Formats: sequence, C-alpha cells, structure tokens
Amino acid sequence: MDLGADLRAELVRAVATTIERHAEELTTLDQAIGDGDHGLNMKRGFEAVLADVANLSAKPWPDFLKGVGTMLVMKVGGASGPLYGTLFMALGKELPAEPTRADLPRAFRAAIAAVQARGKSERGQKTMLDVLYPVAEALEAGAAEGPAIARAAHAAAEATIPVKAVRGRASFLGDRSIGHMDPGARSSALMIEAVASVLEKA
Amino acid sequence: MDCVGVVIVSHSPKVAEGAADMVRQMVGEEVPLAWTGGNPSGGLGTDVGQIMAAIDRAWSNAGVVILVDLGGAETNSEMAIEMLPDDRRAKVLICNAPVVEGAVVAATEAAGGSSVDIVQQTAEEYSAR
Amino acid sequence: MKNGIATDQAATGAIVIAHEVGLHARPSVKLTKLAKTFASKIELGLSEGGPWIDAKSIVKVMAFKAAKGSTLHFRAHGGDATQAVAALVDLVRRDFDESHGGG
Repeated sequence: MDLGADLRAELVRAVATTIERHAEELTTLDQAIGDGDHGLNMKRGFEAVLADVANLSAKPWPDFLKGVGTMLVMKVGGASGPLYGTLFMALGKELPAEPTRADLPRAFRAAIAAVQARGKSERGQKTMLDVLYPVAEALEAGAAEGPAIARAAHAAAEATIPVKAVRGRASFLGDRSIGHMDPGARSSALMIEAVASVLEKA
Repeated sequence: MDCVGVVIVSHSPKVAEGAADMVRQMVGEEVPLAWTGGNPSGGLGTDVGQIMAAIDRAWSNAGVVILVDLGGAETNSEMAIEMLPDDRRAKVLICNAPVVEGAVVAATEAAGGSSVDIVQQTAEEYSAR
Repeated sequence: MKNGIATDQAATGAIVIAHEVGLHARPSVKLTKLAKTFASKIELGLSEGGPWIDAKSIVKVMAFKAAKGSTLHFRAHGGDATQAVAALVDLVRRDFDESHGGG
C-alpha cells in the first residue's frame, strides 16, 4: 500500500474542493480588480487535475508536483496559470523523492523565487506573493501546525486589501484597487489552508 | 544550413495570421513560420499549449525566434520555452520588437541563414532604429 | 585570380529606381536577401559620395528613404564585388521583379 499515493490524492481533492467551493467568490474578487476570470480559470484547472488524480498521485512526489504544475499551466490560463504552474513545478524540482517536513521551508522558498521570476513581481505589490512569503517565513520559523500556517496565510491575504496594485491588470485601476483583496492572494491562502489541514492529519 | 524559424504570438488570431501572411508574401517560403493567437475559449488572449505547438510547427535545428505583442504573450511564451525539452529550450529566443515589423525583419534575416542570436538581434535593432 | 586566391575587387554601380513606391518594405527584403548571397561588403547610398548604409542590413535598408526616380548607388569590396554590384543593379532595373502597383 503506497501511503504516499493516498496522501497525494487527498491533497488534490482537498485543494480542488476548496477552489470549487470558492470559485464564485474568486470571480467576484477578480471582477473588482481584474478581468473577472480567476474563479473560472482556477476551477477549470483543478477540475482537470482532479480528473487525472489517480494517474498523478501514482507518481512519486517530484513527478506528481511537476505533473500538477504542468496541468495547471495548460488548463488554468490567464495570468495565474503560469504562476501556479511554476509554483508546483518548482516544488517538484526542489523536493527529494521522499520528502520530509524538514525539506519544506527550503523547497517552498525556492518555489516562490521561481514564481517571482515568472511574474516579475515583488512582495508588497498586491499579488499571491504577499501570501506565499509570509507562509515561507512561518515554515522557516518552525511553524508545524496546520491551523497556525493557515492563519498566517489568511492574515496575509487580508493584508492585501489596503494595498494599491502596481502589477497586473489591477494596476490599471490605481487607487481604485485599494479596498479589495487580491484574488490570487485569496486563492493562495485557500490552497495553503487546504494543504495544511491535510498534512496536519497525515 | 537550416533557416531559423519564426513564431508569431498575438492576443488576436487575426493579427497573428495576418502578420504571418505578410511575412510569407514579403520574405518567401524558405523560413519555417507558425502563428498562434487567442485563448482556448475563442477570446482574445494567448495560450501556453498553443505557443508550444507553434514552436514545434516552426521548429528548425537552427532555433526559433518568437515575436509577441503585449505582456501576457511574453509571459506565456517564456512559460512555453521553460516547458520545452532540454535539447530545444536554449535555442528559442523571444524578441523585444513590434510583432508585425519584428516578424518581417526576423524572417528576412533568417532567410539569409543567420544564427538565432543574430536574428533576435536584428529584430531588436528595428526597435532601436 | 592570383595564385588561386581571388583578389579583392572594388565595384560601383548606379541605377534609377523606377518602382512605383520607391524602395519600400518588400523591395528592401529582396535587396538585402540578394546582397547577402555575396561575400563582399556591399553598401548603398543616394549619391556617389554617400552617406553609405550596409546593403545587407534589413533594418537600415528599410529605413532608407529612396523615392521613385532617385538614383541608387552601390559600392562593394571583396572577391565577388563586381558580380554583387551587377546583380543588385539588375534587380533594381527589373523593378524588383514586381508588377506595377504590386506590394
């Protein structure tokens, strides 16, 4: 019995479920400061991943993550497809075949760097990086409990509300982007929460 | 010596196809050429999978240059290059040049047998003129 | 040829552009493509004294404004300079192989 495969499948289901549940909310957020397709794009992408869960989770961790990343690039589209795809593909490259919790902080940092390079954004510009960096810091500080990490992620997403966008489509709104949570920050926080709660129980 | 291939990526399939028509008419048949535009739902945009397929259609052992219009086309083209097999990745270059004029200039240079670096350089020379 | 090595030639030529719209994009492409088939350094100018631009540079030739009726001057240096100038002059004389009103 491959416990790894079961865990991988559970992770996919948890993330796909939260995205599905919050797809409308993500669309609404994106209608306020983007082109309105974030919810739809993410839902489509994770439906495709979910449809292929048996095949993907049968692979060892590095190939599983790269497979998820590739599928997200191909199916999510928009601006977030390449960003989330890069995140997962980079994680797949950084993690060893049998990863442990100890590998996570370093691998996550490297994956964020890849996302940053892909999107040419920086922290503080009202993007998903504003959630990913605090989560990386929480992991590095030794945070091991799912709820603590999820809290850090959601707090970070909330913190994007007053920020003025300087990247992406939202930047065209200037001051009007203030007062709205970044949709990519929200989807990141939701995904982090889902992953953290599965790993907590594992 | 194989001619470097040219790939045109626009948010609009009409623009991409039209630019390719202009290249063919002005430069001729010897340069491998492919175009892509629009997203899978049929709207304006670009798609990583389609860009990868276009790179494959225009593939040449001498390499390929990609002409792009606005921001997303460049990001998706970078993503597409990242996802190419190891033996192809280093030979594909994106040109910082206007999509139509850059494609014509790149294809002209490619038709003369220039390397992929020179083809990219020539297209970018157009922007700097 | 001396001792089997081609000696450098220098050649010049001039031809009036009869093409309807002068040296615009498509003729520029044909001119540079033809120039690149020769090894010699080849230059283009609007008068015998220049200023000269590289005839193999598509960007420079496209930017070169030469209207119908103006005289294109060529100069070349290299082993095949004479042939190069002759070929380019002939291309212009043939109206870049385009029918009137085309391109």
